[in-house]
This record gives sequence, structure tokens and C-alpha cells, in this order.
Amino acid sequence: MSELEETIRRLTAKKNVQGVVIVNQLGLMIRSTLDAALAKQYASLMSELVRMARDSVVQLDAQNELTFLRIRTKKHEIMICPEREYLMIVVQTPESA
Amino acid sequence: MNNRQQELEKKRLRLAELRRARKERQEALMGAQQPEASSSSTPTSIGSTSARKEIDDFVAQVLGERPATPTTTVDGSSDAGSERGVSTTILMSPPPYSAANASSQLPATVLPAGTRIIPEFTSIDTVVFDIPPKERVVYNKEVQTVEGSFEPQGPSEEEIREQIREEFAKQEQERLDELERERLEKEVVEQQEMPELTDEERKTIVQSVEFGDFVEHSSKVIERAMSERYDFMKDYTLGLEDTTEDTNGNRVRLVCSFYDEKWCKNRSVTDVSWSKKHPELVVSSYNKNPLAVNEPDGIVCVWNIHLDDRPEFVFHSQSDVLTTRFSDFHPNLIIGGTYSGQVLLWDTRAKSLPVLKTHLSVGGHTHPVYAMDMVGTQNAHNLISVSTDGTVCSWQLDMLAQPLETLSLDYQGHQITDEIAVTALGFPDGETNSFWVGTEEGAVYQASRYARAGSQAGINTTYAYRGHYGPITGLHFHPLFGPMDFSDLYLTCSVDWTVKLWRKRTNPKPATPDNAVVYPLYSFESAEDYVYDVKWSPTHPAIFASVEGSGKFDVWNLNVDTEVPVITTIVGAGKALNKLNWSKDGRHAAIGSSDGHVYVYDIGEMATPKNEDWTTLQRTVNEMISTQAHGSILGGVEY
Repeated sequence: MSELEETIRRLTAKKNVQGVVIVNQLGLMIRSTLDAALAKQYASLMSELVRMARDSVVQLDAQNELTFLRIRTKKHEIMICPEREYLMIVVQTPESA
Repeated sequence: MNNRQQELEKKRLRLAELRRARKERQEALMGAQQPEASSSSTPTSIGSTSARKEIDDFVAQVLGERPATPTTTVDGSSDAGSERGVSTTILMSPPPYSAANASSQLPATVLPAGTRIIPEFTSIDTVVFDIPPKERVVYNKEVQTVEGSFEPQGPSEEEIREQIREEFAKQEQERLDELERERLEKEVVEQQEMPELTDEERKTIVQSVEFGDFVEHSSKVIERAMSERYDFMKDYTLGLEDTTEDTNGNRVRLVCSFYDEKWCKNRSVTDVSWSKKHPELVVSSYNKNPLAVNEPDGIVCVWNIHLDDRPEFVFHSQSDVLTTRFSDFHPNLIIGGTYSGQVLLWDTRAKSLPVLKTHLSVGGHTHPVYAMDMVGTQNAHNLISVSTDGTVCSWQLDMLAQPLETLSLDYQGHQITDEIAVTALGFPDGETNSFWVGTEEGAVYQASRYARAGSQAGINTTYAYRGHYGPITGLHFHPLFGPMDFSDLYLTCSVDWTVKLWRKRTNPKPATPDNAVVYPLYSFESAEDYVYDVKWSPTHPAIFASVEGSGKFDVWNLNVDTEVPVITTIVGAGKALNKLNWSKDGRHAAIGSSDGHVYVYDIGEMATPKNEDWTTLQRTVNEMISTQAHGSILGGVEY
């Protein structure tokens, strides 16, 4: 428990990080530092995206596997580390923005 | 109808009367002009003509308002049926006579000229047919098509395309609609199916081991990704910000500092080392934290330049770790020497406890291991460790239960003790047999692992490198690279506030007994505190760096200045700096501080040597040798 909190604290302490959302495989939010509605939105939309990305990767090469997803937008950078059971989503504003 | 018949009858009678009257007149006329009377058709006198005209008019009046002659009645007028009917009956017997006679409406009998006719009147039943007016079909006979439209009227290519496009768009739209609908349905279903996790469920997830591993791993990955200093989305078309980066090269820049509140607090860094395989990894060892009795005494952390606020790996030891390094040939293995005398081996694939360790027995070390080195090649290499009781052990990394060889260094001729307390160890580059050790008493000795012709295994008492007045803290041979070989040079540093440059002696026997003591080539005496470590740059022949107790990090360039360092930097909070190590590319220096931090400095362009640097260094060293030759006797006397 404390390790999770510690990790989240460390992540959010970085100067560009806006928030952290941890989601399970089904897109259900486990822990987040964003406000509830936005976090829920991130949870459902990003897990959907990860599922699609994962499927695409496997379709391209059955031996392959999605390991990291980095979405650069005009305003943010969304980094998603997908593992078997859970997703960690970190939203940060890039240096230049 | 009867009325009408009667009326007609009346008219007829009247007509007959009129005719009779005319006949009489004609007869009268006939009587007057006999020869002329060939036919009744031609009126002769004007007077009679006018009279006849009158009659004609009258007849016309009686017959109807139309003055037109009966021969023109083919046109279907809009007359009422009945009227028409009448006119038709009348016309049934068209008069064979000329126009003059036509109006007289005589019955259809040919009257021979001059015959007197007594009309016979018969009553006739007239049947009136009511013939409906012929339906008039009107059409206009004209061209109905536009000019030029006689070619086949198929749709043009453009139109076909347009049509296809439209169809496509329509299909696409339908498909999208379909998808959208499905998605919405699914969403609805999902929303219905998946309520939010309850706090209970969340708690179970959060407490599971699996989740802990996930958090550990994914956050590490994300932090590494975040630390990328280069912004790959940079737009160079935008205006340049004024970057005040100093490019003249003579500058060091702090790249990052490694510190972890949990592990590094109240500990000092005892050693730092870079990975040969992964240039971004640094390993550092720590002594014990006196305030945390439940934590392991010694720890070793592996740091990543791209992940500066947490270690990649943390390894535990039961005793303070005094020296550590990556295995040169196995990037996963990390070796540590401890205060208890154990040599430990950790594996990054395993957990935090060592996978192998030596026994604390007579076979190995029983005193603190402050120095170790790896010699050999990929296929045949050994770990050489040395402890403060003068024991040198060589180990096979996959078998730490027993040392391959043990060698005891003792100096029989020493005044106080024959044991040599080794604090620093150095092998010349490429050498596997002979090595140099720095001792607590301040002298440097050469030793051999094996007995060779003319020399025994163990310490070589022929030469003693004397010059330091305190324990030696670091010893480093010039690395072998570049066009010239300077591998006979080595540097030492000591708590006597100096760094000294030495040249190793290879002659088996000294020319004279006086020469048994070797003095340093040069002494760098700008330090203001204990000098804790010194290292040659791996890429520039004339550069070396030293760290000292006042927190200063000095970079020396022998080709520039031998009196003072080219760059002096106060590192961190100015706490004593224990150890220093260059990265393989010579640009970065990792510095271990006594406050638990590891600092990584970039020396920039300085690390790249120029061609003349070797020859310049050659000259510098030769100069030092010649000055030493003059001064050594004095020095020898003084000592």
C-alpha cells in the first residue's frame, strides 16, 4: 500500500506530471490523482485504446506484444504502460508546451 | 320538339309561298323575254337582283344567324346538337344549282327549264339524330426535342462517377452509423455491466503482490521515458530561445544526482562504478545506516542516468559494502567487497540478496576488502580482491566458495609489522600477473601473483615507492589507448592532501641499493583536504580527475597545467567525496559523496583528445623525469 502511494507521490512530484491513473484490464479505475470524472474518462477511453493497439500489434505479428504507448498531443503527453492485468497512465505536459 | 316541327312546317309553308310568288314573277318575265329563258339561274335585271338579295338575306335570317354557305360547314362548330341536327337535315339534299339557287332550298328534283312545276307537298317524318359533337383531337405538329439530342441519352462518365461516389458515401455513412450505434450500444452495455470498483475490491487489488510488481515495473518504465531530455517534437522553425550553454568546453555540468530517501539516508557512498555493457548504468555501494537497525548494513544500488530519483535495483548485504563493480564480462552480475571480508555476487535477474558469497574462513578474507579488480579476458578472467591484512585472493566468479589462489603479502623488512595493510590496488592495463598496492603506511609496493623467473610470488621488496605521508586512498594506472603507451605511469592519492604521479620500475635489480626507494615523478599539491580518489580519463591521455574531502572535484590536464587543476567544482553540498569513476566514453564522471549522493558530471568537449596531446604529454613526462633525476638524491637524503 505504502509502496503504491510512494510511487504515486514520486511520479506526481515531477514537475510536468499532471496526473496518474491506474486502471485494471477492464478499464476500471483503481487509483488516480486526477479528479474523478476525468479519471474515469481516461480510464475507459485509454483502456479501449490500449486494447485496440494491443490487438493491432498482435495482428501484425503474432509473436509481438505491446509494451508501451506514448501519445503526444498538442497539450499533453500521455504515457501508458500496459501490463497483463493493469495499466498505468501518466499525463504530463511536455517541456515545450 | 313538336313545337319546333310545327315551326319548321310553318317556315316551309312560307317558303313555298315565296317560291310560288317568285315563280309567278318568273313566268311574267319569261313572257317578256322568251329567248333568254334557258335557265333560271342567271338573274338578268339589276332590279330583280336587289330584290333577290333581300330575299336571300331573309332566307339567311330564317336559316340562322350564319351567313356562311352550307358547303363550308365541315368545321365542327360548338353549336348545340339540336341546332346542328336541323341544319343537317336541311343540308341532306344539297342543291345542285348555282349559288343563286342555293338559297331557295328546293326539293331534290331536277327542274327542266321552262317546265311548270306544281309542287306536291308531302308530309315527312323527320327523324332528328342527336349526334354528339365529334371530339376534337388537337395536336400541334412541331419538333419536340431539342437540337443535338439525337445521340443516345446515357449518363456521362462524370455523372457515373458522381453517382458511385454518392453511393460510396452513403454506404460509408451507413457503416459508420452502424459502428457508432454498435459502440453506443456496447457502451451502454458496459456501463450497465461494469459498475465502479468498490473500495473493498480496490483494496484487494492494491494489496496483491501482482499489483505491487506492476506498479514497480510500470512506474520505472514511465519515469525512464519521462526523463528523456530531448524533446523529439521540437519545432525548429520557431524562434530560438536563447540558450546560455557554454560551448567553450572548459566547463563541467552536473548531469544528474542519484539519491533515494529510503536507501541512501545516513549512508555514505563507498564506491561507484559504471557498467561496461550499459553506458547509462552506475553501481554504487553504501556503508551502514546507524539509525536504521532493521535495514541491511550494506547496500548496493544500480542507478540509471535516465531515472534519477530511484535506483533500478537495490541489493543487500549483511556488512558494509566497501567496494563494488559490474562484472566486466557479465552485464548482469555485480560484485561487492565488504567490511567483513566477504566477496558478494548479486544478479540483476535475481532478488536483492546475493546469489553467491564467499565464506568467512581462513581460505578467504577475514579483513575488510577495500579494493578489487578483474583481470583476464572473456574466456579466462579472475576477480582479484585484497584485504587490509595483506591477503590477495583470486576468484572464479561462478565459484565463490573457495578462492583459486591466496597470496599473503608481507614485508619482512618492515620495522613494525610485516603485514601490509592494502587499501588500494592497481593492475597496469593488460597485465594479469604483477600489480601495485597502496598501503596504509603510505608506501606503494609491487607484487606478483605468480612466481616468475627472478621474482617470487608475493611482494617485490626490491623497490618501495615512497612519497606519501599518509594512507593511500587511490591508485590508478594510465589506461592503454591511443598511439602512445603511457601504461607505466600511475597516480596515487592520499590523505596527505596530495596526488602523486609515478613511473613503475621494471628492472629486476636496482643499479645501486640507494635506488631501491622510488620517488614520485611529480606531486600535485593544490588539494586542501584529504584526496580520496584519483582516476585517469579513459579517452584523453593527459586528463585525470581527483576528488577530495572538501567536496571538490578537480579535473587536471597535464598538457595545460601541472600546478593547478583546469577545473575545480564544488560538488553538491560540499561534503567529502569518497570515490570517482569515469564512464567508458570519458565524458561523464560519477562521484560518490559521503552524504549518500552520487553525482554525475559531464566534462563535455574536454574528453576528446587532439592528436598532439600524446606528444605533448610525452614531453611533459620527460621533463618531469629529468627534474626528478636532479631532485631524487635530495629527496632521498631528505627521506
